[in-house]
Amino acid sequence: MEFLNLVLIFITAWLVFRKPEKERLAFRILVVSVLLMVFLFSMATRTALLPGVNY
Amino acid sequence: MQVTETAAKQNAVYTVLTLAVLALAIVPIGSAVFVLGFVHGDSPCVMCWEQRIAMALVALIGLFVLRFGPRPKYVGLSVLVGAWGMFMGLRHVGMHAARDIGQGFSVEILGAHTYTWSLFVFWVSVVTMAVLLMMLREGERTAAPRALRPLEKLTMVVFLVVIAGNIVQAFASTGPPPFMGQGDPVRFSFNPRHWVWSLEEWSPAPVTLRGRWAVEKPSVEGLPADPAHGPLTNVPRLEATGRTQIAAPLKGAITGLAYEDSTDRFLVTTEHGLYLLDGALQNVLRYTIVDAGYSVDLGDFAGGAFLDSKTVMAVGENKSYVILREDDQADAAKNFRYFLESFDKFSEVRRSRFGTVRARMMYVMSLAFDAAGKSLYTVTVPNSKSKSLVVSRFDAADRTLSEEFTPTLRAGDGPALAAKRSLDEFYVTGAAVEGGRLYAISAAFNTLLTIDLAAHEVVAAHSIAGIERPTGLAIKGDHLYVACADGRVVVTAKPIS
Repeated sequence: MEFLNLVLIFITAWLVFRKPEKERLAFRILVVSVLLMVFLFSMATRTALLPGVNY
Repeated sequence: MQVTETAAKQNAVYTVLTLAVLALAIVPIGSAVFVLGFVHGDSPCVMCWEQRIAMALVALIGLFVLRFGPRPKYVGLSVLVGAWGMFMGLRHVGMHAARDIGQGFSVEILGAHTYTWSLFVFWVSVVTMAVLLMMLREGERTAAPRALRPLEKLTMVVFLVVIAGNIVQAFASTGPPPFMGQGDPVRFSFNPRHWVWSLEEWSPAPVTLRGRWAVEKPSVEGLPADPAHGPLTNVPRLEATGRTQIAAPLKGAITGLAYEDSTDRFLVTTEHGLYLLDGALQNVLRYTIVDAGYSVDLGDFAGGAFLDSKTVMAVGENKSYVILREDDQADAAKNFRYFLESFDKFSEVRRSRFGTVRARMMYVMSLAFDAAGKSLYTVTVPNSKSKSLVVSRFDAADRTLSEEFTPTLRAGDGPALAAKRSLDEFYVTGAAVEGGRLYAISAAFNTLLTIDLAAHEVVAAHSIAGIERPTGLAIKGDHLYVACADGRVVVTAKPIS
């Protein structure tokens, strides 16, 4: 899934660089990428979402 | 002239942003893949991958600003990703920060492991964004895409190259969807035979906020009391040879009991109180209420002990402790910080914490002092996450952990474990040491355990007539004194074993 997310980031950066007229599409992919990153981290830490320390 | 100055300032802001994005792309993200990954074979764990991707996203948002100007949605999203990145850093650092010196996960760089650097990088990113925002002027939003300057074009190319490198590493290390990063990734290799693609993170697992750290506070309420239902069989009964009720007014329920023979006095602890009582347990000779929230959080006291005829110690359920010395010349004004009542009866010697290993995730409800062995003892109580009877011994001189063990049951004609039962079911709320034996009273099943401290074995177990929710245990001569939560003290002959 990290592979997929990095591909999305690459496409987004390419659009920003070479196809700036597609700003709306680029930003939407950026948001998807952010949500995917948050989801994957949460999946990886779902057995203890908060840091394992004393509070 | 004014327009020229404004344009120059605007260019300066974009230059700073360009350099920040360039630094972010090259230093943490680029070096991680090209140097650590391709050269040294380091593979990120699943959490490191998301932290690295979040850094790439922060840099990518920077590219958006370079291209389209500082639109609010870019600024807002960059702050969100930066804040989430710091949270991820804290979550990751929290797994390893309290280990022994130098320990951690994977690669250490300049004295810190990669996940710690990630926390720092996100912090710097958020600070940088804030500074850039302050440098922006009103009316700098651009409707059309900006024409990129050479340095900005270079930054975009560098970013694309760095991401391309990461795509290669991610394909080798984590695989195409639905495969994802692993908790313990294998070393990076360009050889497909060494690639491990895993679905382990998709396997069912409970979703919790704190996992094994969500431990409830200890309590004797609701524990099973009948010794006949306990994990041990062949448990003889000790008859009470005396009973008394502590008549002295105490603030709170009794949590611990200890005895000092040279002065014939008892020490009684309550949630935050220490009381010195006469040998008949009727009169308070001296007391104080400790401010448990000053400096070290003492929690509620779990037990107390005499360290000598003038010095007493109380330990909290969280294994924090306070040592007090009787002092008739105590400065009441100076002691204001330590005590809530009776300011001029004790001086505080030390307030600190016991550190344990096996007992780390469990609370205690007992404290015992072994004068002959110059040691202090605590015994754990089980909780919903950790169920283990752990005896911890601390050197009395420096109060540092010297030994920990989980006692086993001595084979022979003494007590025996019932089928599918365990010593871990006991809930030790009072303890005392004498003659190489640790006597531990359990509020669960109202059972007295006798533990051989040299052999690490439970050598005897007894029920005691007339006790209910025991919270403290003391040895006076040939007798055991068992304090109960309601203030009753039951006296019985010390068992011979």
